[in-house]
Amino acid sequence: MKDAYDVVVVGGGTAGCVIAARLSEDPARSVLLVEAGPDPRPIPDVVADPKRQTELVLQSPYVRMYDVERPDGSTFPLLSGRIMGGGSSVNNLAAVRPMRADFEAWAGFGGAAWGYDALLPLMREIEADPDFAGSPIHGDAGPLHLERPFRFDAPQDPPVRALIEAAEDMGIPRCDDMNAPDPYGICSSPYNSLDGRRISTVVGWLDPARARPNLTILPETTVTRVCVGDGRATGVDLVTPDGRRSVAAGEVVITAGVYHSPQLLELSGIGREAELRRLGLPVVQPLVGVGENYHDHAVVYLTYEGTQDLREDYVIPKVRLLARSDPARPLPDLHVFMRPSIRMEGVAPLLPVSLHLLEHRSAGRVTLESTDPEELPVVDAALLRHPDDIRAMLDGVALVERLTSHPPLSRFYGPRVTPGPDDDVEEHLATTYITYHHGVGTCRIGPADDPGAVVGPDLRVHGVERLTVADASVLPTAPHGNTNLAAILVGELAARRLAAA
Amino acid sequence: MKLDGSIEVAAPPAEVWAAIVDPVALAACVPGVRDVRAVDERTFEGRISAAVGPIEGDFSFTSVLTESIFPDRLVVAVDGTDSVTKSRLHADVHASVAEPSAGRTDLRYDAEITVKGRMAILGEMVLRATAGVIIGQVTKCLRSRLETAGASATTPPATTAE
Repeated sequence: MKDAYDVVVVGGGTAGCVIAARLSEDPARSVLLVEAGPDPRPIPDVVADPKRQTELVLQSPYVRMYDVERPDGSTFPLLSGRIMGGGSSVNNLAAVRPMRADFEAWAGFGGAAWGYDALLPLMREIEADPDFAGSPIHGDAGPLHLERPFRFDAPQDPPVRALIEAAEDMGIPRCDDMNAPDPYGICSSPYNSLDGRRISTVVGWLDPARARPNLTILPETTVTRVCVGDGRATGVDLVTPDGRRSVAAGEVVITAGVYHSPQLLELSGIGREAELRRLGLPVVQPLVGVGENYHDHAVVYLTYEGTQDLREDYVIPKVRLLARSDPARPLPDLHVFMRPSIRMEGVAPLLPVSLHLLEHRSAGRVTLESTDPEELPVVDAALLRHPDDIRAMLDGVALVERLTSHPPLSRFYGPRVTPGPDDDVEEHLATTYITYHHGVGTCRIGPADDPGAVVGPDLRVHGVERLTVADASVLPTAPHGNTNLAAILVGELAARRLAAA
Repeated sequence: MKLDGSIEVAAPPAEVWAAIVDPVALAACVPGVRDVRAVDERTFEGRISAAVGPIEGDFSFTSVLTESIFPDRLVVAVDGTDSVTKSRLHADVHASVAEPSAGRTDLRYDAEITVKGRMAILGEMVLRATAGVIIGQVTKCLRSRLETAGASATTPPATTAE
């Protein structure tokens, strides 16, 4: 490791791997990529093989849990990937684009450069989607290979066929392309894999760049502070396996994710003044938006008594319902998945159905308990707090009730067990919601005169030169879909802007 | 995670209480339970097998009757570990009985379950429904035993088909 780099990328997550790979394409630019987790090579099979996804999440050392409290005092875990590739190394591989409306919402904060038409070329460059070869909205040569395990024209398992038939009979259409600008209906789920092996941003971006002499990769290293002098970032302080040291940087790019990017900013004195003072941190640059504006997607489970086992793969569900909780909603606002049965001796199989609300009208926040960089930040997710979010989820429950009681799907689903017939559904929502693990927004974009903005539309931190944040934390709202593709997009966008600067 | 419910039993509260404080009777009502061993008059151990999609595992537990003050307060503490993630689960189950009408019992229960470890990731997907179903089955099983016992003791056999 050298004492100085042109660019230091802090966080080898989804976006960090993209940025380090892209910026090191220019051999004249020296790049240091720092990751707190390990960088196991070759990539362990438990990471690479989506069939082992449950084992990866439940048993591997690569997932970190952040306990979050609900208002009733109960808790549920948020997760992050503590390994090179971050979420792209541990997530369920969903390669779902934001909808056109999401880009237009972001353009409201970041200007036309964040709109759908402006970013479509970049989305095409990211992917190789042979299912849509020749399509004007899809790519065929990008690093991220997409595949869909389900085809409407192929033979289908009886419960999947029953779901499709019931939905169609209820007027919900088939949706062949979930990554169209305005998708809706019963969708074949796209995944970032090639021949059934995970294409993380390590596989797609970082691995082909590893041999470059101008790229240094430093795993198992924590950045404790971004050093700022004369209003510009000058480097970072690190704790490496060999001890503490400092590295100078021409540009610091923070890609530590929705929880740790605001944490690192505040540990560096950039953030909410009252918070900095409470923690005894110096105020280097007041920015009231750091750690605020946390958006995510709430998930609720309903469980039915099953008439038979469903052995469908629940980790990589082939089909999902992208539905409107109410026909009057302007956008589809729910993902619905049939989950496989829970089987126990002496009890009928239990069939869970999950509802994932793709809108979040209140905002949570991320705060620090202490100035210890190893201590996990505290997240108030603020899910299902806004009356409209609760209404949408209640409407979603009613939709699932209609669906599971609609033939031919009703052949598989018996009475609802959780919440039971005597339980209050709204209370069930309030006390059992979890997350889709789609947190965004804690360092959101916006112009300099927007008080809640942390970074400008160019992803540069307001008030501090040569400091960029470039991960899902910059997105002002959670998209109507999974977030990994959006995080990759932010990485690509940041890399292009920095390379052009 | 909190669960609660109630069930009405056609037997007097004292009989219902006697059944739920008896670990042998209680254990016999847990669906799918294996390797049951009564440790003492308040404690039994056992194992439940469950599968979710590709995951199959055992949940080994110890159930201890920690308080029994008729009719208001019965507390059973359950501690266990799953074989897949080695997460630790603790449940405090509270129960009380009341007599809404002569010879009948309203059995109320609630449970507070905490999970330490990765199994918490599957909490709402798997644990809530399974715990709810297990507790529901236990109470239904107890009811059925009590009502059958009561019926054989006090009710003459039916002589006409319905």
